[in-house]
Amino acid sequence: MKKILTIAACLALGAGSAMAQETFPRNGVYDQRPGLVALTNATIHTDYKTTLNNATLLIRNGKVEAVGANVKVPAGAIVVDAKGKHIYPGFVDMYTSYGLPEVKRAPRNWGSPPQMESTKQGAYSWNQAIRPETNAVELFKADKKQADELRKQGFGTVLAVHRDGIARGTAALVTLADKRENEVIVLDKAAGALSFDKGSSPQDYPSSMMGSVALLRQTYFDAQWNAKNPGREQNISLKAFTDANKFPQIFEADDKLGVLRADKVGDEFKTQYIIKTNGDEYQMLPEVKATKAPLIVSVNYPDAYNVEDPFDARRVSLEDMKHWEMAPANAGILANAGVTFAFTASDLKDKKDFLPNVRKAIKYGLSEEEALKALTATPAKLLNADKLVGSLNEGMLANFIITSDNLFANDNIILENWVQGDRYKITEVPSDYRGIYTLKIGNNTSKKLKIAGTPDKPELSVIGQDTVNGKITYSGNLVTLSFTDSKKSKETIRLSGWLADKNLQGEGQLPDASSVKWSATFSEAMTQQDKKDTAKKAEKVEVGQLIYPFRAYGAAELPKQEAVLIKNATVWTNEKDGKLENADVLLKNGKIAKVGKNLSESGAKVIDGTGKHVTPGIIDEHSHIALNGVNEGSQSVTAEVRMQDVVNSDDINIYRQLAGGVTTSQLLHGSANPIGGQSAIIKLRWGKSPQDLLVDGADGFIKFALGENVKQSNRNNASERFPQSRMGVEQVYVDAFTRAKEYEQAWKNYNKLSKKQQAKTAAPRRDLELDALVEILNDKRFITCHSYVQSEINMLIKVADEMGFKVNTFTHILEGYKVADKMKAHGAGGSTFADWWAYKMEVKDAIPQNAGIMNQLGIVTAINSDDAEMARRLNQEAAKSVKYTGMSEEEALKMVTLNPAKLLHLDDRIGSLKAGKDADVVLWNNHPLSIYAHPEKTFVDGIAYYDAERDAQLQQDMEKERMRLIQKMLTAKAGGAKTQAPTNRKASVMHCEDVEHSEEESYIAY
Amino acid sequence: MKINKRYISAFAALLLSTAAFAQVPAPAAKQSKPVLLKGATLHVGNGTVVENAAVGFDNGKITYAGPQSGANLSGYEVVDVTGQHIYPGLIQPNASLGLNEIESVRATIDWREVGDLNPNVRSVVAYNTDSDIIPTVRANGVLMTQVAPIGGTIAGSSSVVQLDAWNWEDAVVKADEGIHMNWPAMLVPTGNRQQDERLNRMKEQREQTLRELSQLLSDAAVFKAGKNDAENLKLSAMAGLFDGSKKLYIHTNYGKEIIESVNFVKQFGIKNIVIVGAGDALAVADFLKANNIPVIYSGVHALPSRAEEDVYNPYKMPYLLHKAGIQFALDYDLSIHGIRNLPFIAGTAAAFGLDKEQALASVSLNTAKILGIDKQAGSVEVGKDATIVVSSGDLLDMRTNNVTQAFIQGRKIDLNTKQKYLYEKFENKYKAQQKQVPTGATTSAGK
Repeated sequence: MKKILTIAACLALGAGSAMAQETFPRNGVYDQRPGLVALTNATIHTDYKTTLNNATLLIRNGKVEAVGANVKVPAGAIVVDAKGKHIYPGFVDMYTSYGLPEVKRAPRNWGSPPQMESTKQGAYSWNQAIRPETNAVELFKADKKQADELRKQGFGTVLAVHRDGIARGTAALVTLADKRENEVIVLDKAAGALSFDKGSSPQDYPSSMMGSVALLRQTYFDAQWNAKNPGREQNISLKAFTDANKFPQIFEADDKLGVLRADKVGDEFKTQYIIKTNGDEYQMLPEVKATKAPLIVSVNYPDAYNVEDPFDARRVSLEDMKHWEMAPANAGILANAGVTFAFTASDLKDKKDFLPNVRKAIKYGLSEEEALKALTATPAKLLNADKLVGSLNEGMLANFIITSDNLFANDNIILENWVQGDRYKITEVPSDYRGIYTLKIGNNTSKKLKIAGTPDKPELSVIGQDTVNGKITYSGNLVTLSFTDSKKSKETIRLSGWLADKNLQGEGQLPDASSVKWSATFSEAMTQQDKKDTAKKAEKVEVGQLIYPFRAYGAAELPKQEAVLIKNATVWTNEKDGKLENADVLLKNGKIAKVGKNLSESGAKVIDGTGKHVTPGIIDEHSHIALNGVNEGSQSVTAEVRMQDVVNSDDINIYRQLAGGVTTSQLLHGSANPIGGQSAIIKLRWGKSPQDLLVDGADGFIKFALGENVKQSNRNNASERFPQSRMGVEQVYVDAFTRAKEYEQAWKNYNKLSKKQQAKTAAPRRDLELDALVEILNDKRFITCHSYVQSEINMLIKVADEMGFKVNTFTHILEGYKVADKMKAHGAGGSTFADWWAYKMEVKDAIPQNAGIMNQLGIVTAINSDDAEMARRLNQEAAKSVKYTGMSEEEALKMVTLNPAKLLHLDDRIGSLKAGKDADVVLWNNHPLSIYAHPEKTFVDGIAYYDAERDAQLQQDMEKERMRLIQKMLTAKAGGAKTQAPTNRKASVMHCEDVEHSEEESYIAY
Repeated sequence: MKINKRYISAFAALLLSTAAFAQVPAPAAKQSKPVLLKGATLHVGNGTVVENAAVGFDNGKITYAGPQSGANLSGYEVVDVTGQHIYPGLIQPNASLGLNEIESVRATIDWREVGDLNPNVRSVVAYNTDSDIIPTVRANGVLMTQVAPIGGTIAGSSSVVQLDAWNWEDAVVKADEGIHMNWPAMLVPTGNRQQDERLNRMKEQREQTLRELSQLLSDAAVFKAGKNDAENLKLSAMAGLFDGSKKLYIHTNYGKEIIESVNFVKQFGIKNIVIVGAGDALAVADFLKANNIPVIYSGVHALPSRAEEDVYNPYKMPYLLHKAGIQFALDYDLSIHGIRNLPFIAGTAAAFGLDKEQALASVSLNTAKILGIDKQAGSVEVGKDATIVVSSGDLLDMRTNNVTQAFIQGRKIDLNTKQKYLYEKFENKYKAQQKQVPTGATTSAGK
């Protein structure tokens, strides 16, 4: 069978167009044609919800002149009979790189010399990732090849977005006509574009996601300031940023978490972004819906994995398996939830997959009307171009497609795509040959000939004594048939002929080489039964359940808060009562209701605690789990970055640590710079969104760091980035706080002015970095300082005393034992490792008695992890102080519960078992400081997020679900689905020294 | 004047280590008279426990180990350790203790040689008996280690040493007992861009490595130094692999690699194979048993390798290996300084299903068997070296681990460490301060 003939030649039926080249001189005679075309007898879908039967579409000069059932065809119109065909508005893809130059990332290697400043010449932003001065329209070049690809999928208009940088300037709305740029540009500035991706910028900053967020936020403030105080600094970028904000703002997000992250920035600056997603947003549907953001949805579905080999299959994660199954359901899930969205083909490697994937979305639950809306009206409306494109009403662009059938029918073919009145033939389909014929070859007796299948893929069978299947191929009106005489025969009869009226006739050759004339007379159309057989059965697609989080150990139903009474356990209160034997703890409404003996509570779930221990939940003062990035180490002061912007609620380490009794963690910035970013304090509410993990109303903290990491002494090449010694580190602090004080004073002076005076005076520039430092000076933000050796600890205490701030906590603080008296005098706490040392020069004198000495001197002392594995055993790490210094067991337990609560200023809510405190409680099977102990249940807010019994059930369910998906993938593969090699993802464990952001490592087998 | 910074830091490091030298205790003198420890609970290391036991030793060798009632006390200096526990000295296999002082300071690192195939490189000659880390490891009950080189496809030869010696010659328990091979990885990080090209390049690289390895092993298998051939250090070093006198330690985790690597080396007639790392050992249990291959399992205090795994899977693995009938020992592989936590690796195994005495065996007798030193070490049995730990409580639990005495080959070793010295130094400082100015009982967190 021959391939479907596809051509895309512009037949130039209408040389006139929406935007003519009036200013261009002509070489030759003037050749302006009317471009008047009437498409008649068509089923016209003027918009996603309106269908006109047997209607006419009249276009002139590239625009719709009239549409309707009663449109008169004017004289002079070229008439195209579209009987039996459908006409739809041309699709709009509002997220393409059409006609724009490729974006190349700057090559950056570990150890490359830093680039602190912009190398872009001109009066632009200090940072090359901020390029709002980019207007896509200025870079745009119509591209025939790309246009052809997109037209074949039904697109007529696309938004050209230059996907480079964080502030990307404006995007242009253009048609896909093969014409001069001047003619195809519909709106030169249709939208503003943003992302968190620094793109081609070679500058170091931002090197992390939270840095990108901070830079964007700062740019908003800078642009506002610049607009109000134009005389202070000439800055093309900031002006352009303000200008670009006037248009709809499109934000490209990496994933579902990116959607939430972007929307949060939008909310801060009172902008509702339209968010381009990657197709996984169904996984966090409630949160995504709550953003109210219209989405631009990718239809990039993953291929099935090769899972024949159990070893390989094991390496495919549950979320990858489930996403394979559920990705096509994304659009339907969004539509059912009432989320507004447009489709984009932008993430497809092969644009040919676009329409089939949209059809797949329909099969998976999206209504056809919603699908069409997402292809036409929604993108047009979001771009304020709904008077131009997206439907077929008078005066709009003559952008439409002609299809052989209902757009979403499986066998439907796009026959033509008209853009601005120009006709592009997409598919040449011959007549429908299907039917029953009477075949007569030479003088032989007649046989019945049946042509079934689909119009473009007909199937031949010849019914005589035997019924044999043959081959039929065609080219236009020419047809070739071949078949054997009988089932046993190996000799083939070959016929060549043409279609005449409804009949076929021609010449042929018999196996004995003799020539023969033949004919096939049409006797009847295909029976209904045959048609049914050929129409693919619309199977109802079943997909698995959505689970939260969308990965291993997620569940469709999150565990619920309930009243729980733990009876007869050893209860470590961390209060005056100390350790109570045979005592009870009642958890109710998320709080600890009572601690005591012989408690009872009707309706409470009773747990027998005999032989077991109950402690407050473990609090990790120093953690880097659940983060997309740790260090914004590109500058020595990055107080503006916030870890709350990169909380990753899907991190499996949340669940693993619950299984180690951890309930609260301070997620710290890394230690790459003297002043790092702002902490996020989370509770391990597994299954909740990043925002819901954050501890409400917690004080703000910030990471400082001293020593080898800050001075980059373990890097191979000496850097130019200041500081490179402990001497320089001091100067960074003195300088930063001096600037902060001046900044604070400038605002104070400004705020003192009367409104009148303020109107005449330039306000100081809002600076997010200095804001954070001013907060520190005013006891509104608190320092956790990564520190090792005594000299630097002493130094920071002196700087703090001089500049008037406090160091809340020294973390790591492995030489704290050498300066414990000074820490005590300053009022600083210490959060340290139990027994780490010797892994670098500055920990050569670290001792496992450090915590003991600090605690002994009355310093609030905690043991922290800085390690996702060790955090699961913090109780045992605390026990080491009993071993090394003879600390009491109750004091030791406090070092991972009450003391870190104090360091985080949360000791009024967590850290001990006392009525009224949060029900963050662990039930241990054994003495909590013993290596033989592990949690049976870990409660956060009275909810058993970890429960050993439930864990076993989750594992079983997960295994079942995996088996189901593996079988489904094997079936899909057998059915011809594309597949890919398995890759496993290993969550990388981050420490504060990890500069490069790598959330996960993935591995693939050869 | 230009100053070479690297030189300065190297010089500073030298100064520091010289200062620290004084804090490494002197090795104990040879056992001069018979000693008998009595009244303790004896954990033999082979799975058995003897309550109210006595352990006697003379000339560095154990002369009695059993119920106190059966001991003949005459001639012994009797030490009452009633209520305490006696264990064999623990053995850390597969470590670069003594080759690595400060992980981030290159000058203090001696575990990696350049080149990809270095069977002739010997770790023992770089083993630094004066490492500050060694005393801290001993103090928790780890008394022997296998000093193993790292890196390349064949890293070199390892030796087993005891941790109380004047120099590496004194330290040797078994020299050059095995060769360490890092099996070329089948799994490669995917990266983001140009995946296919990169994968192909890495695949080619791997095939090249396997070809070279194949050539080396087939050459070594027939090599007879001094007879047919001129001396070749690499081939000579490997001779023991073919007569069974040396072990081949294959470092790999992935199940398919375990099978591939074992089948690969067996075709050259290599007899004693040990898998190190062995993350997937359970999945290939039948293969390992059929080939009689023991494993050194490295990943107890580790995160599960996949999110789907039981969150405690690494903790449970020793139990599961035991249940599957695989011969195994445990090591601590997270850091050098952390080797002192080897007992707690075994403790974790015990917390998650493994019998406590089996857990002990996995860091003592099983290890000795795998390293081929079980005739002289690994358990508290008559005739073996008196390398013994006495702890006032359960050695495998940090809550109770408290080593009161330790003997290496009968010599009572000094349990002091640099860290204890620093502890006392600063404790004394604060004690003196407190005598002058009493400090308040409460403190604020700086809020």
